[in-house]
Amino acid sequence: MSRADVRLDNVRKSFGAVVAVNDVTLDIERGTIFSLLGPSGCGKTTTLRLIAGFEQPSAGEVYIRGQRVTSVAPYRRDFSMVFQSYALFPHLNVAENVAFGLRMRRVPRGERGAAVKGALELVKLGAFADRYPRQLSGGQQQRVALARAIVVKPAVLLLDEPLGALDKMLREEMQVELRDLQQRLGITAVFVTHDQEEALTLSDRVAVMRGGVIEQVGAPREIYDRPVNEFVAGFLGASNFLDGCVVSREDGVALVETAGGRVRVVAASAPVGAKVRLAVRPERVRMNRPGGDGLSAQVRSIVYRGAVTHYYMDGAGGSLLAYAQNAAAGDWEVGDDVRCAWDAEGGVLVAPEPT
Amino acid sequence: MNGVKNLWAWALLTPPLVVALALFVIPLLYLFYISLHTTSPSEIYGSTLTLENYTSILSDSFYLGIIRRTLATASAILGLCLLIGYPVAYFVALLPPRRRMIVLLLLLFPLMVSNVVRAYGWVAILGRRGVINTGLRDLGVIEVPLDLLYNVEAVVVGLMTILLPYMVISIANTLSAMDRRYEEAAHALGAGPIRTFLHVTLPLSTPGVASGMLLVFLLTLSAYVTITLLGGPRSKLLVSMVYDSVVGFQWPRAAALAFILLALALALTGVILAILRPNRIQGTGR
Repeated sequence: MSRADVRLDNVRKSFGAVVAVNDVTLDIERGTIFSLLGPSGCGKTTTLRLIAGFEQPSAGEVYIRGQRVTSVAPYRRDFSMVFQSYALFPHLNVAENVAFGLRMRRVPRGERGAAVKGALELVKLGAFADRYPRQLSGGQQQRVALARAIVVKPAVLLLDEPLGALDKMLREEMQVELRDLQQRLGITAVFVTHDQEEALTLSDRVAVMRGGVIEQVGAPREIYDRPVNEFVAGFLGASNFLDGCVVSREDGVALVETAGGRVRVVAASAPVGAKVRLAVRPERVRMNRPGGDGLSAQVRSIVYRGAVTHYYMDGAGGSLLAYAQNAAAGDWEVGDDVRCAWDAEGGVLVAPEPT
Repeated sequence: MNGVKNLWAWALLTPPLVVALALFVIPLLYLFYISLHTTSPSEIYGSTLTLENYTSILSDSFYLGIIRRTLATASAILGLCLLIGYPVAYFVALLPPRRRMIVLLLLLFPLMVSNVVRAYGWVAILGRRGVINTGLRDLGVIEVPLDLLYNVEAVVVGLMTILLPYMVISIANTLSAMDRRYEEAAHALGAGPIRTFLHVTLPLSTPGVASGMLLVFLLTLSAYVTITLLGGPRSKLLVSMVYDSVVGFQWPRAAALAFILLALALALTGVILAILRPNRIQGTGR
């Protein structure tokens, strides 16, 4: 517990009758990037603002570096923040913006200059110290906002969709830079995003949120490969969902009877006879010739995407989607009969969405 | 494409430019021309060109005193409007949009009453038989009525109450358009409420402060009714002098006084803009 830089303990926040954050408990370890991922309105930004103190929790406690800060004003909390709109002070130039936090923390003028210079060099904006925010591009403003936030060496860095306003190329570049910077400085960071790829790229751990509730917390690979429910599986990327019934199990592998045939899936629980829903990532699906192994299906449409090809197929249990690497792809055509198969660990049993 | 656009721009600009030239610039130049002449008993101005009107005014201690009083009165009104208006504007800006509009309309309400009526209202309050004097006498606090009217203070109070809404509305508009994220960003960097106000909110509100100050200042310099009714004959300001010269048929002197007033207005506008530099805040920093 001592390694947790941020801790939320049963935190709830309601705005009138709307519960934005519903009994969230989180531990964010020192030196890691923790992402809050979810669709808009899921409570991820409110959660961030609760850590900052811009919102007061209706119930529960907030801790930063082991200290209870629930009723502490934001400006007395040890954090800094990069806003979605950057919120660079328009009346101050780049160097003055970056120096702001140091001035407020009464760092002597001499030390300030060196720290500002260092921070600006870290984000590769050493030559822009005298510019005003309006004279910078979006990407440059983003870097200034980052420099302004890290120069004060906060216990925790909060980032509210900081890359949302950038175009795709720049965003991917900044993701790598941000990750690199965070690891070099060993900062603890909480990152809010609705972009699942961004969360997977950047984070040590990801919390997937919906309706103010954390659906699943885990390492990127864990939540991608072993989603606990249909929502998490669907939000983190495409998935095939198949309904079925467990007919037998041995050594942690269940045999599931689906409409299109029997499939094996690694599952710790799920007793024989249980009705289950199976999720399979499209890149796990192998396409075989008729007579081969797998569920039978027919190719409905083919989308060529450069590195991969997407095959949309109709099977007995509903539609199926497969991604095939183009280097290894067979030459399937629309209307071809195929057999779709995957390894037992390629599928996962998920809790179905209540209908 | 650009040529067509320019043509349109000129087509739209020409009528107002012509009107401004014919009705403002040319008469102003004519007025300046008049101010450079001697007084004539029979004509609007005499035939001799001279700088006499300016030199006599600027070397006359009576007129210099009037100029000083004008500036002091305007500064006092400006200071009071800023001091009282800013906090009001700050809290008005925090209101939700609907309520903010209602409050701003309430602030505008007094402006719907004529200045003459309002000045007489102050006479009824401050006069020797006004509400304050009779009230204090009935309470036995004073025996002889206080001279609350016909002095500079009465002018300051009267004009300040008229001009305060301009200041409040200017500042409130700027503050309510300001992105509140700036204040949150300051908090996130460790600035408490006072330092956030001094280092972020106040500088970001300078466009509103500047426009409010200019409005109040220029309206003070050009106010006449309130000054005459509340200041009386002993507290005259520059505008009163222009009027007195006109009714005394000293047209060239009136013109010269008008230009001195204009020069003061321009100079102080320049000073206010140079100090506040509201153009710094352009662009949202996004």
